[in-house]
Amino acid sequence: MIGVELHKMVRDRRTWVTIGLLDALPTLVAILLAVTDLGPRPGTGPAFLSAVLADGKLFPLAAIAIVLPLFMPAAVAVVAGDAIAGEAQSGTLRYVLVRPVGRTRLLVAKLVSVVSFVLLAVLVVAATAYITGSLLLGNQSIAATTTSVSGTALSTQELAGRTGLALVYAILSMLGVAAIALFLSTVTESPLAAALGTLAVLIASTLLLTLDAATSLHPYLPTRYWLSFVDLFRDPILWRNVGRGAGLQAAYVAVFLAAAWANFTTKDVTD
Amino acid sequence: MIKTQGLTKRFGRIVAVDKLDLDVREGDIYGFLGANGSGKTTTVRMLLGLVLATSGDIRVLDQPMPRSSRSVLPHVGALVEGPAAYRHLSGRANLAAFDAMAADGRRADRLRRVDAALEQVGLGAVDNRPLRAYSLGMRQRLGIAGALLRKPRLLVLDEPTNGLDPQGIREIRDLLLSLHAAGTTIFLSSHLLAEVEQLCTRVGVLAQGTLVIQQDLDTLQRPTGRTFVRTPDVAQVRSLLDGQVEVHDDDSLLIRVSDAAELNARLVEAGVRVHELSPERHTLEDVVLAATEAGNGRRADS
Amino acid sequence: MTPGRRWSCVVLALALLIGLPLIMRALPPRDSAIGASALLDRIDASRDSSYSGYVETLGTLQLPVTDRFVDVGELFGERTRMRVWWRDENAWRVDKILATGEVDLFHDGGGTTEWSYEQDRGKRTRDPDIRLPRTADLLPPELARRLIQEVSRDAVERIRVRRVAGVAAPGVRVRPGAAQSSIDHVDIWADPTSGLALRVDVIAKGDKTAALTSKFMTVSTETPDAETTIFRRPPGAEFVYDDTLDIADAANQYAPFRPPGSLAGLKRSPSAQRAVGIYGSGVTKLVAIPLWNKAAEPLREQLEATPGVQSVAEGDVLRVGPLGVLLTRIEGYGGGWLLTGTVTKSTLVRAARKLDARLAQYVVTVGPR
Repeated sequence: MIGVELHKMVRDRRTWVTIGLLDALPTLVAILLAVTDLGPRPGTGPAFLSAVLADGKLFPLAAIAIVLPLFMPAAVAVVAGDAIAGEAQSGTLRYVLVRPVGRTRLLVAKLVSVVSFVLLAVLVVAATAYITGSLLLGNQSIAATTTSVSGTALSTQELAGRTGLALVYAILSMLGVAAIALFLSTVTESPLAAALGTLAVLIASTLLLTLDAATSLHPYLPTRYWLSFVDLFRDPILWRNVGRGAGLQAAYVAVFLAAAWANFTTKDVTD
Repeated sequence: MIKTQGLTKRFGRIVAVDKLDLDVREGDIYGFLGANGSGKTTTVRMLLGLVLATSGDIRVLDQPMPRSSRSVLPHVGALVEGPAAYRHLSGRANLAAFDAMAADGRRADRLRRVDAALEQVGLGAVDNRPLRAYSLGMRQRLGIAGALLRKPRLLVLDEPTNGLDPQGIREIRDLLLSLHAAGTTIFLSSHLLAEVEQLCTRVGVLAQGTLVIQQDLDTLQRPTGRTFVRTPDVAQVRSLLDGQVEVHDDDSLLIRVSDAAELNARLVEAGVRVHELSPERHTLEDVVLAATEAGNGRRADS
Repeated sequence: MTPGRRWSCVVLALALLIGLPLIMRALPPRDSAIGASALLDRIDASRDSSYSGYVETLGTLQLPVTDRFVDVGELFGERTRMRVWWRDENAWRVDKILATGEVDLFHDGGGTTEWSYEQDRGKRTRDPDIRLPRTADLLPPELARRLIQEVSRDAVERIRVRRVAGVAAPGVRVRPGAAQSSIDHVDIWADPTSGLALRVDVIAKGDKTAALTSKFMTVSTETPDAETTIFRRPPGAEFVYDDTLDIADAANQYAPFRPPGSLAGLKRSPSAQRAVGIYGSGVTKLVAIPLWNKAAEPLREQLEATPGVQSVAEGDVLRVGPLGVLLTRIEGYGGGWLLTGTVTKSTLVRAARKLDARLAQYVVTVGPR
């Protein structure tokens, strides 16, 4: 079943259109930066963007920082929201279930497919950004080192390792979104409703993060630690928030998958 | 093959299916009749484990459902409420995907199985265009091909001839008859009396969630005890069989005699010219309407 | 399994997931038998200990700030997250963690280097006695050390133990003795073995919640690696030296004033020998900074636009939580004294009146700049 799902995802034109759209924004930013040579003022804009004019090797990170707060979760919400609800809407769900595919097995296969999509999307964005970054932006490889956020020098090797970690963290951050969307996808029969519901949760979370009155809720909000991948570029690495972010995403995945399982396995399929 | 006891489904306060006792025997072509909204589809979904019953037992292939769906469903082919498939894949790729979903079936045989199923429903020559370019009839055929992939012992088909032209309907009917001849039990849910009458050996009628009839078709179509006669000599027949003629018009009569042969002999003896003579049988339509009305009446009384 | 049963499983798991940490946190830690003044002594004695950790401070004071005071305004008005590596007084590093960068202080015997990632710049300065507050001053151990200076031992009492950064930390409450103080009390929780202050809450008179909280989120009392606290200039980054650290340092060095030996009944601190006066001790502190015109006027405009500000004969006076701010007005001379500190409004006004009189003499002797 997992193989079938992966095959279906790769064959679906929508997958590639979504990834293409995801990729468009950082590429546009890279072109604009290269043409105008105007970086954001220090302290503004997404992480690392003010540094990429000098060091194009950082652009994959800047690209991730650009798409992570809105574009990436929106894409994941759409894809994961479609998982069950999309099959229900098109009527294929009943044929999958009488094939027979166990409901739990179907959920797992859908999750694997969504995770693969996230993986694919993050890697494509990072790879494109690496190419555009080294072609269009600053290429000061004279010293062969990059400055960490704490002002220490990072060798190219260290930078590559930490960038890899950051990509893994970005993928991890999207898993919570995927789990929420997957759960909503088992609740409603409209993929659009599932995706919008997920985005509503994320927007509410982002909003609550700006509110001091909600401080006690902050550690539980799904978007709380998303941008903590910056901590991987401090020296020494600040693991605290990265660890919490990973734990939080794991908790979200566990809770919402369990809810999706409880709901879906006992649900009447009446589409 | 299918046996339910007290099968009941409630959606909130609405009772969709009420204490259903279905009995489909091996070798039947079972016609499951009912108006739209009578609970047919809900019943079919419960048989397949898609909808969970509120109460009651279901046994399919002598195993409890939905608990044994893993061992039952591989032997069941189903078409539920119209066909459905992935729009971005071709028909062949769709069948291959559905075939690959279940753990049984050897991978090496997949293409052969898919081709055989397509051939059976008359889609053998189909090209590789994606499903969104298919006509309604082609989708219907593909849906049936999907149900046939695993050479099922039991076929559960919900309105299988929907969207087909007369030629297509005939082909599908022939296909079902040949499958039946090869030993497949068929559970056919339909609202088309004619379709059921032509195809089925046994009929169940659902009205507002309750099973009002479950009988062999032959039993339902038993003679009424009257004989139909068409003759130009109506007056002569009336005088000959005074008191036994129930209805008559210009050239036809209904006579309260059950033995058609004996009646024929008497008429010939009296020199009556007969165009046509046959024992009158109950029609499925009459039976179904009567039972449905009785069911409705019962419901209204209670 | 029925739907109901499945859902109860899920809800139970969720409740455990959220509830267990909450219960663990709510369980009262075991209190230590240490007395209030013994604990205070231990905190006092921990001055030389090394530590490292992650600190979060939360200031609730919305101070009127102009660009020369932005950092101070953020420090007292916002949430600040810091990482600290403290070997000793002459070897430490404090990183202010920002969402997309950081501003770090590296300190050694010769001075302090400030590294700002987003400006890609290091700035080296001396470490003057008189300066504006900076991140390192708000670390719980540093804050506690300042606040308990010269506190009389009978003004302290024990408060309930509290779990801070995983340590069951006994607490002590310090009340300022001076009537001029605007602070009701300061609560300090410290590691009972090392005496390291782990959390400090400052509560103003008339308030229930803390005006300023500083606490460790994680802490280690191991000596941090020496390499961590040394700043090495990254290749390609800008590096500058600066004679003056901030506006207080500049005023102290160059303003032609000598504030009086005492103000509003508070004695001048021996460390303040030049133009900036620091008065009082411990929790009750008053600072007088002479500002020249260019610095004073924007601040005055900002101050006058702040709700709650009061104009008195001596100048504009404002109270934000425990902090009082008064900027004096001097006819015929630009600039003015900025008086601020943890003192009451009337104390500020009294101090301003005395400065005014003295300033007049200096204007005569030194003349306007």
